[in-house]
Amino acid sequence: MRRILAQARKELIQIRRDKLALTLALLLPVGLLLLLGTSISLSVTELPIVVQDLDNSSASRSLLDAFRQSITFHVVPWPVTKPPMAAFTANQARAALVIEHGFGRELARGGAGQVQILIDASDSNTAKLIQGYSTQIVAAWNRTAGGAQRLLPVKSHIRLWYNPGRVTKKFYGPGIFVLGLSMFPPLLAALAMSREGEQQTLLQVYVSSIPAHQFLLGKILAFMAIAAAEWSIMMTLLFTFFDLSFAGDPTPFLVASVLYAFCVSSYGTMLGAAIPSQAAAIQAVALGGFLLVFLLSGLIFPVENIPGGLRWLSNFVWGRYYMEIVRDALLEGGGWPAMWFNVVVIGIIGSVFFLLAWRKMRRMQLSI
Amino acid sequence: MTPPASQTDNPVSIHVSELRKSYGAVEAVRGINFEVRQGEIFGLIGPDGAGKTTTFQILAGVMEATSGTATIYNRAARAARQQTGYLTQTFSLYPDLTVAENIRYVGDLRLIPHAEIDERGSRYLKMFDIDRFTDRLAGRLSGGMKQKLALACALVAQPQVLLLDEPTTGVDPVSRREFWDTLAHLALDGLTILVATPYLDEAERCHRVALMYEGTIHQTGTPSELRRSLGAKRLEVHTSALGEAEDALSGHHEGILDVQRFGDRLDVMVPEPVAGQQQVELLLGAAGIPIDNIRVDEPALENTFVAKLRAIGRVVKSPKYPGQHPHRDLMGQVAIGASSLTRHFGAFTAVRDVSVDVKYGEIYGLLGANGAGKTTTIKMLCGLIEPSTGRMELAGERGSLRSRTVRQKLGYMSQKFSLYDDLTVGENLNFFGGVYGLSREEIETKKHWVLEFAGLEGKEAALTASLPGGWKQRVAFGAAIMHEPSVLFLDEPTSGVDPLARRAFWRMINQLADMGTAILVTTHYLEEAEQCNRLGFMVAGSIVAEGTPGGVKRAQTGHLIETVASEPQRAADLLRTEGERWRISLFGDRIHNVTDGDAETSMRETRATLAAAGIAVLEAREIPWSLEDVFISVVEKAKREERLAA
Amino acid sequence: MAALIAKEFAQIGRDKRLRISLIVPPVLQLLLFGFALNATVDNLRLGIVDFDRSPESRDLIAAMTQSGAFKSAGAYASAEKLGEDISRGKVDAGIVLPVGLSRDLHRGQQADVQVLLNAMNANTAAIAQGYTEGVLGTWNQVKLKSGELHARFSQIGSAPRNLRGIAALHPAFLFNPGLVSSWFVVTGTFGLLLTLNGSLVASAAMVKEREAGTVEQLLMTPAGTGEIIVAKIAPLFLLLCGMVLFATALIKVVFQIPFRGNLLIVFLGAALCVLCGIAIGTFLATFTRTARQAQLMSFFVNPPLSSLSGALTPVEAMPHWMQPLTLVNPIRHFGVITRAALLKGSGLDILWPNILALAGITLVLLVLSVWRFRKQLG
Repeated sequence: MRRILAQARKELIQIRRDKLALTLALLLPVGLLLLLGTSISLSVTELPIVVQDLDNSSASRSLLDAFRQSITFHVVPWPVTKPPMAAFTANQARAALVIEHGFGRELARGGAGQVQILIDASDSNTAKLIQGYSTQIVAAWNRTAGGAQRLLPVKSHIRLWYNPGRVTKKFYGPGIFVLGLSMFPPLLAALAMSREGEQQTLLQVYVSSIPAHQFLLGKILAFMAIAAAEWSIMMTLLFTFFDLSFAGDPTPFLVASVLYAFCVSSYGTMLGAAIPSQAAAIQAVALGGFLLVFLLSGLIFPVENIPGGLRWLSNFVWGRYYMEIVRDALLEGGGWPAMWFNVVVIGIIGSVFFLLAWRKMRRMQLSI
Repeated sequence: MTPPASQTDNPVSIHVSELRKSYGAVEAVRGINFEVRQGEIFGLIGPDGAGKTTTFQILAGVMEATSGTATIYNRAARAARQQTGYLTQTFSLYPDLTVAENIRYVGDLRLIPHAEIDERGSRYLKMFDIDRFTDRLAGRLSGGMKQKLALACALVAQPQVLLLDEPTTGVDPVSRREFWDTLAHLALDGLTILVATPYLDEAERCHRVALMYEGTIHQTGTPSELRRSLGAKRLEVHTSALGEAEDALSGHHEGILDVQRFGDRLDVMVPEPVAGQQQVELLLGAAGIPIDNIRVDEPALENTFVAKLRAIGRVVKSPKYPGQHPHRDLMGQVAIGASSLTRHFGAFTAVRDVSVDVKYGEIYGLLGANGAGKTTTIKMLCGLIEPSTGRMELAGERGSLRSRTVRQKLGYMSQKFSLYDDLTVGENLNFFGGVYGLSREEIETKKHWVLEFAGLEGKEAALTASLPGGWKQRVAFGAAIMHEPSVLFLDEPTSGVDPLARRAFWRMINQLADMGTAILVTTHYLEEAEQCNRLGFMVAGSIVAEGTPGGVKRAQTGHLIETVASEPQRAADLLRTEGERWRISLFGDRIHNVTDGDAETSMRETRATLAAAGIAVLEAREIPWSLEDVFISVVEKAKREERLAA
Repeated sequence: MAALIAKEFAQIGRDKRLRISLIVPPVLQLLLFGFALNATVDNLRLGIVDFDRSPESRDLIAAMTQSGAFKSAGAYASAEKLGEDISRGKVDAGIVLPVGLSRDLHRGQQADVQVLLNAMNANTAAIAQGYTEGVLGTWNQVKLKSGELHARFSQIGSAPRNLRGIAALHPAFLFNPGLVSSWFVVTGTFGLLLTLNGSLVASAAMVKEREAGTVEQLLMTPAGTGEIIVAKIAPLFLLLCGMVLFATALIKVVFQIPFRGNLLIVFLGAALCVLCGIAIGTFLATFTRTARQAQLMSFFVNPPLSSLSGALTPVEAMPHWMQPLTLVNPIRHFGVITRAALLKGSGLDILWPNILALAGITLVLLVLSVWRFRKQLG
């Protein structure tokens, strides 16, 4: 135990001395959380849209007004003579609303007035949102201004759970939180480990006859402490700036956080042990810590959207399990019944990383 | 020196038998055998790539041997790790931990009680005179202090065996001497010390040494045994026409074993001094070369090593440099002319009022302890940084020293950073040839020459990183002179090179100087400094002494006394308490004492002091100054004056 | 100069890590980003509570689950059980069909159907909401037309302006009728890849000489600082241009993105982007002594560079105050150029402002970094 603590203490002193690493460990996660939490969003507002009213009746003008009043769209002027398509190639608009000739007449007759919405689908997600929003606007207009003011056979009451305001940052905030924890502690751990190899200080450790598991645990403990510091800073931010709070029993989350800190620190230590060059270790952590967690853990889009060939990979991505736990704790509140499995998996993956690191180091000797 | 009689009865602490280690196809250690007894300082002497580090790593228990055994007190090296202290070449310190934290960490890892860590730590730091720097980061210590800290870290565990792998590389002569004094102390306390070094002058301070080369131990014995085994004497021949004399004596003459040129003399090895002297006089007389003086002395360990290497068939070629543009016409003119150079870095003055004149055809050596300002000076002299004040003249140019024409005339080789490790030898040479604008044919000729000089014929496609240090140095040297510079800067050119190759180096340097090239060399290696025509000693940013090697020795006001006493260590300690520490140093059983007064008086006083303590003086005589003694004396005196001035 | 360039090429040729970082990240990033960042909302797991168990309720459920947006995740006995499973993340949405749904429809009374959506992911929720309303709207229309329902549903309330008909909206998706999500992500990732990899490779190359200590040796040769810099940048630029071609081929072959416009415009933009990356890398390298530091520095630069680029999420979705910041980001301009030129066939007449902006940013960064690098060498 004494050796483990001595090892941890030494690591922490070293980090404290390295200004760049310290900034990286404590400041960057905050910056990242604020920056990405604010900038990642798919909920577009004020999308530029051009309108072409070929009918120019009071009915058509009334429908256009409905579009003008919506916060989703922002009508930009476009000459009638130019084809609406040109507004897309010129990057002036994302959609074009075309009200056909005879729209007003058809409505007065009780028929269906034809309206077309052309959508620039080069961004497919936004295109779908435009479709949904424009459908809602037209449906609402039909009910208030048109002939749809009647009893609907089935009326839907849609209830949005956990995030009724559909506030994007409440969803992405916890995701970035996980991303931060998945990146920086293992990065520092990998650097510290590969540096011992690069600067040959590892020889001194080998000579001291400290067993591999104590040496590794000491290192991991130090980076768990770093992770804990990051965790606290970022949680504070989530509770304040991101308006989040615990939705239910926080104990699975707390337990998982400790295990996750162990998991990512072991991951970094393992990479550092396997890669004796600091620069290469950074790249390896960036790949695992950032790319996998960013892409394959459902941070932006649900994991279910990933094509099958890739999706099975996400079963091995530790960040995915923790991300589900964090979102559950802060949004859904499913507690232990929902999350026990994830907690266990994080523990298992962490142990595997530790074992791999131990396997690499177990002889505590130069390997050639 | 012969080990004290008691030592031969001491138990064997390190036992190595038929030890082998292969890295893939390369056999680094090829079946070595040796034994070290308790309290012995055993030196493993050899150039880079001899297999020293591998041997150490196996003994430290951090690497497995391919076959053979290595035991420490009859336990396998790996199982005996708690009893060993290991100093690696890089010292394995954490640069971002303080001195105290480094010690604490090592102590914790070895589960030493805190009170003991503190007690031993402060004791050793005090002993090594670095206790003032407890809170300084290890990365900010000088080479010498790092070495002491690393030793303190190793000692905190109170090991019975110390393994020191080239502990003095990059450490200046002053710190080096202090270090060896410490080792002598520790050995007396019963610690067994195995030390590797490429410096043959350090080998003189071991009880026994083993000459190691290419994975094999070629000879083991006490330094004097080794010297005697050569069965030869060394003649120092002083003459004004060194080059011609060297030519006249080289070749295969009866009764002359070896000729080596130094800055102001030749060393000639002869089997028998009287006949040898006659033979030298005869040969030089026939060539019409005047002899100023011939002195007979014992051979140095280096001579033994050289003879051994020759005996095993190692050949180092020194092909004639294919220079086409000699600068003989410039001979005698000033090549590097610096007057009153001063350089500040912020509030710190790195170099103060330095004036250096180096003429074409001259070899000038710049010596100094770490932090004396050598590096800054050489960078100013070659135009890499500008002096804060002072004037510079370089290769006939006063204004812009950074101009293309000036740089075309300069050659520069820094100790380890001269070649691109990720290029092959051929690519490196092509690059340096090309960047200096050599024609294709010229590059080919020079490349051929460099490869021959470095002993790498046919290995043009070898990756530079894969070469041992000594080979790399020679390629780097070749690369630096491909364009036939008229001014050459060499920053520690021969570190890690074996003695034979070092000779080839110096033959080459002399050849260049004879062609009119001005050469400025820095070195830690004082034997090497003997080969310069003129020397400058730097202390704390100033040049405090200057002259020919003989000149600076003669300029010493004091005397150097060698005393052989019955209890050398106790005698040295006693004498140290009498005067300034630096004046006394212990070389095995011989004590060197620097005195400012009269030699006879000093010897008398020494006898009296030692007799009062019950120590018998077996022999005492005045001996000629070695450059190392001069260096230390000059540095210490300058430091003292500075302290007085402050 | 020739010797300098030959040396750089030889070094690059032997640098395994550099070669890897020219091939692996482009492939990995394009593939992973392209496939993994998939915005498609389909097959959401829909839990069903059918209290009515009538033909109508079954019909409604069928309409919901056949839309492609939802798939049935089983029936639940109570709304509470359904709620529990939503909170456990076992289902994404739920529909509760009340007792008497069928009776109400036949009596001419409006039936209330409750739809529960897990709105944790705001984007998915918004799209799912649109789907649900669309499905139910269509179902209503179909039932009305079929005349199966009570006549009261066909009565029209009082309409202002005598508009008795309804507006029928017909959406048409241009440029990407299949709504392939990867087209957006891949075209954005392209720029990220060029700039970030360019910067990584360049900072490593620039700092290498200093880290190895060979820089002094180099400075002692007659080579000018300008020559040294050009000799360092030119080979990197060429190699990265090779990476551009490689990535373009990957985009075309794997993601089948239509190349509607002039490819030369894209290449021009890509070349500028690569130079930008080199400039950023060089700039970072001048602040650091080791490759490790240079890489750590990039952790401070890359996140803003990529998140303020519109490469992965639309710029319009960012807070308004943030959007102008993207204008100084080379990746943003390159993203606009690739998307417009590749997907929409826009030409130079439209894209010149972006090209100009990109060129301007590149020039400023290059001048700045070369100036700093020179100062450091001199």
